[in-house]
Amino acid sequence: MSDFLATSEDEAKSYLPRYKILYGTIIVGCLLIAGRLWTLQILQGSELRQFSERNRVKESKLPAPRGLFLDRENRVMVDNLPGFDASISPQYAKKLDETADAVGEVLHIPGRKLADFVRTAQRRDGPFRPVKIKDNVSLDEVFRLKLLRWDHPGLNINENILRYYSMAQNAAQLFGYVGEISKEQIPKLNDQYQGKFTFDQGDIIGKAGLEETWDTTVRGRDGISYVEVDARGREAPGEKSNYLGFKPLPAISGYNLVLTIDKDIQEAAYKAMNRHDAIGPRVGGVVAMKANGEILAWVSTPSYDPNIFSTGPPPQVWSQLINDPFRPLRNKVIQDHFSPGSTFKPIVALAALQEKVVTANTYVSAPGTLKFGRRIYHESHKVDHGAINIMKAIEVSSNVFFYKMGIALGIDRIAPYARLLGLGQKSGISLAHEVSGLIPSSEWKLKKLGEEWQPGENLSNAIGQGFVLVTALQMAVAYNAIGLEGTVVKPFLIKKILNQDSKVIQEFEPTILRDATKPNEYGVEIDPQHFKTVKEGMRKVVEGEGGTARGSKLMGIEMAGKTGTTQVRSFSAEEIYKRCDSRPIYLRHHGWFVAFAPFQKPEITVAVLAQHACSGAQGGAPVAHDVMMAYFEKYHPELIKAAMEKKAKHEQKKEASVKVPASVIEESE
Amino acid sequence: MRIAGDFLSPNLQVEERHRFSRLDLNFAFVILALNLIGLINLFSATHGAFSKDKMDLFWMQLVWLSAGWGIYLGITLIDYKIFVRLAYVAWALNLAALVAVQIVGKSSLGATRWLDLGFFRYQPSETAKLALVMVLAKTLSVRDTNNPMGLTSLIWPGILFLIPFILTVKQPDLGTALILAAISISMCLFVGVKRGILIFAIIVAAVAAPIVWNFGLKEYQKNRVLTFLSPGRDPRGTGYNSIQSKIAVGSGKVLGKGFRKGTQSQLEFLPERHTDFIFSVLSEEHGFIGSVTTLGLFLILYLMSIRIASQARDKAGALIVVGVLSYMFWHMFVNMGMVIGLMPIVGVPLPLLSYGGTSLLSTMTGLGLISSVAYRRYLF
Repeated sequence: MSDFLATSEDEAKSYLPRYKILYGTIIVGCLLIAGRLWTLQILQGSELRQFSERNRVKESKLPAPRGLFLDRENRVMVDNLPGFDASISPQYAKKLDETADAVGEVLHIPGRKLADFVRTAQRRDGPFRPVKIKDNVSLDEVFRLKLLRWDHPGLNINENILRYYSMAQNAAQLFGYVGEISKEQIPKLNDQYQGKFTFDQGDIIGKAGLEETWDTTVRGRDGISYVEVDARGREAPGEKSNYLGFKPLPAISGYNLVLTIDKDIQEAAYKAMNRHDAIGPRVGGVVAMKANGEILAWVSTPSYDPNIFSTGPPPQVWSQLINDPFRPLRNKVIQDHFSPGSTFKPIVALAALQEKVVTANTYVSAPGTLKFGRRIYHESHKVDHGAINIMKAIEVSSNVFFYKMGIALGIDRIAPYARLLGLGQKSGISLAHEVSGLIPSSEWKLKKLGEEWQPGENLSNAIGQGFVLVTALQMAVAYNAIGLEGTVVKPFLIKKILNQDSKVIQEFEPTILRDATKPNEYGVEIDPQHFKTVKEGMRKVVEGEGGTARGSKLMGIEMAGKTGTTQVRSFSAEEIYKRCDSRPIYLRHHGWFVAFAPFQKPEITVAVLAQHACSGAQGGAPVAHDVMMAYFEKYHPELIKAAMEKKAKHEQKKEASVKVPASVIEESE
Repeated sequence: MRIAGDFLSPNLQVEERHRFSRLDLNFAFVILALNLIGLINLFSATHGAFSKDKMDLFWMQLVWLSAGWGIYLGITLIDYKIFVRLAYVAWALNLAALVAVQIVGKSSLGATRWLDLGFFRYQPSETAKLALVMVLAKTLSVRDTNNPMGLTSLIWPGILFLIPFILTVKQPDLGTALILAAISISMCLFVGVKRGILIFAIIVAAVAAPIVWNFGLKEYQKNRVLTFLSPGRDPRGTGYNSIQSKIAVGSGKVLGKGFRKGTQSQLEFLPERHTDFIFSVLSEEHGFIGSVTTLGLFLILYLMSIRIASQARDKAGALIVVGVLSYMFWHMFVNMGMVIGLMPIVGVPLPLLSYGGTSLLSTMTGLGLISSVAYRRYLF
């Protein structure tokens, strides 16, 4: 306490005269505020009360219409529709029961129920919050409600904008859907865009697909309007509307997107995936790409109707979509990866030719089984192909032939070729949530799994099983590159961005990523003649006598492709030949078919993934056939016409020259 | 209270009296009254039609308030001399926290102001005010009262003030920086500054103002001042807030619109109505009577504080009270001034009424210090 005594009482008292100034300052400060309160609350009180009561200026958001999605011919695929909802403001609804009865009659809701609903909401939220009583009010109902408005204060009809997907289930995963921004997203997105775009509570944003990826392009900018309302909550337009100098800010519509999609092909692809044949509607995806990378069609099934999200889906619908084992919300073209199965064989064939394991004329024996180590490896069904060359091996999809290629090459001499053609990496398409798939290597396995690469794994991976994982879009890119004999393109979906006056804001050109016949960063290049060899084998898959997809020939155009059937899991030797369709659906094989056409000068590549369809020939090839036919019927009708005429002439000739009994024809087929 | 034995050793007298009888209960009651008004008002501000997300804040405030009273009582019972001794430590720690904010701080609305401590968002610029009061009280208390400060003797207090001030400006938190300046200037003026220095300071301020305006202020800060001078200039931005706030206050008239019935606040015309604009909610719903009663309670609190300062047993104690008092007063003056259109929009909370954990805890700590000085005062 010695230091306490050092500054004594007397010294503290030396401050005493200064407290007067302190008292003075503080009293003056408080008087200043009190005086100002007097001015505002007493002198100007009535005037200001009037502003707040009679002429309320309420800032309200004018939602900007989102940009439209157009197809390559400027046909609207995703649109905006004016929508209406009805609400009741409890503070103004003095005769709530009468109002509820009148409104209920129009909307076909019991008045009693409506009044209770409003009262419950009022107890919860207070009297000022309008209670929404119905979404999606029809035009007829809007007119009838408008008549009620003057007798029933507190009843509001609000205009809003609904996103409308005219193609409904078709391309739902591609377009995505919109919904109200979630609480968690607001700070996240604001951080991400650093003030370039702002996100607020109640904003409608893209939640999936193109709507999500291109949100900032299509969302536009919301405007602000200052609405004056009278004491009964009814809008009083015009009257002193600029009293406080509030200038409304008009909403600016978002940019329209012109997609590379062709609506006709898109519709054909959706129809093809829902074919009425023995297999029925497919689960899976199909993507059709032009040789320059423009996506023409993009379907994922099963699908959902994105329109339900525009008004907020009922919870049971939402949980149904989430719990569906076939996952309708996922975009199976890029969001899921699968083993490519035999569709991987053309890539292994290119590696085998380039690495000089075989030439186009080397014949390799392909009996039904191959013993390697302690295991016996099988063909997919009991068959002995004898001695076959690489083209035949592709045509009949010989597993044993490619097992031998796999043993001779090893995974590290296969992987670079697969990557060179675009597998195992993101394609770079402007759509969120693309997965990269996987092309394994011994180095990868050691690093990731901490295990040495086993020689036996060369066999399974050579036929596209094992670790190899690809997306349907990657397969389209790779096969397109084979068709073009080396040109790897970047797939793209957006052709042009237009503003509201249809002025082009940005245009996207096709991108060639690399030429596989030239030196490149993958360390391998492929001789053009090897492409020709492999393409010939792929042509035979469709056109050859033993081709696995010979049932899906196109009329008038030569198509080249490859089927693939991949096991959902491995089966024992007895089980392996068991009929696939006798298994429960989730154990059935996935089917692949990837093809390009015309063979001579490819214009379009189609990749089909048909999950649980048992085989690529049955599940995938017919879908690709339908999509291809839709394309050629639209863009090259002369080829099909010529083929039909030729066929008709041929049959006439046949009929005229040899009169064969009908029964004989049946037998020969 | 008994004043027996006043002529004996003051120490003896302090020990003799019963602990609670020495508590300045009147002072505590005024704080409690303001707390009650604050809670009632905050309930209204957080339970509006469109503010469901804010309901929890009311209960959070109750938690902070209980903690605040715990701190208040604790500090009252501890001799403030201990705090004076630790003043530099507290100041240095606070400085470290301010630097940490610059490095790892969290941002909101373009400013980096707080550290995330998991359970609590700590805002070091709030506690800087108290740390500054303590160090200034310590260093100024050793000065001779009859010898006003010259330029050289202002250097050290100047350094103590400038370092946290610059760090706060950098965040940027102009409101808090302004308060830091107001506290320092108030305390120095109270202790006494030579007349020449005062005139010099006014000239410097006049010269510096246009320079700061052109180079020191960010665009939005300039806008706030400009819109204060003419609210119609930018009705979308701060002008909107200012106009709506004035309408809210004025429309309350004499008696107000009633609890939870303020249309301006409940209908979301007012921004930040649970924090910076809490006083407009009060004025709208409880009118002139409510707002002047609140103002009056603040005034009583200040006058009681001055009385406590004048009875302090030493200069450090008196200066602590003067420092905390200027902290409370300028906070209130700037906040209310902003709400009623006397000052430009500056983000400064209203002590005891605005929502906010750090603000409430530092306010209660500051009041606790005054109470601690009161607990050990002389009775004349």
